[in-house]
Amino acid sequence: MVTPEYVRDLIARGLACEHLEVQGDGAHFEAVIVSAAFEGKSRVGRHQLVNKALGAQMGNEIHALSMKTLTPAEWKAA
Amino acid sequence: MDTQERIRQTVTTNPVVLFMKGTPNFPQCGFSARAIQILKACGVNAPATVNVLEDEEIRQGIKEYANWPTIPQLYVNGEFVGGSDIMTEMYQSGELQQVLTAK
Repeated sequence: MVTPEYVRDLIARGLACEHLEVQGDGAHFEAVIVSAAFEGKSRVGRHQLVNKALGAQMGNEIHALSMKTLTPAEWKAA
Repeated sequence: MDTQERIRQTVTTNPVVLFMKGTPNFPQCGFSARAIQILKACGVNAPATVNVLEDEEIRQGIKEYANWPTIPQLYVNGEFVGGSDIMTEMYQSGELQQVLTAK
């Protein structure tokens, strides 16, 4: 079974994050991801960066990942 | 016709298309159910929908089409808008209503 820690490691390895929280039950996960790489990117572009980090696991072992994608400035303002 | 071309025709001949698991009345995944609810809340009561569970080629092909690995996926005027998270955020900020009324 996929653990939240495993999902967090996959994201962290593929994307430099300032803040990263992942919770989940083995199939459905929720993440808050704060990265400077999101600057100037649309929501779709941000999610695609995370999906790239997750690779082929996304949509397969990881059935679903709800994500909030924030830049460091947006994170501070939130 | 190959799968990518079938998808392209579907999203360009319908102003609003949701690729989902199940049907609007019987969604088979909570995220697809949420997407339908959001569209209804935006006044789109009868969006064109494609049930990916009934078409394995579309189910795989749609992941490549917009380089997006999960379902549901919303397209407006042929453009990929997002999945259920993005639909939720855009609905809450009022952007989705704008995109849908501009269609």
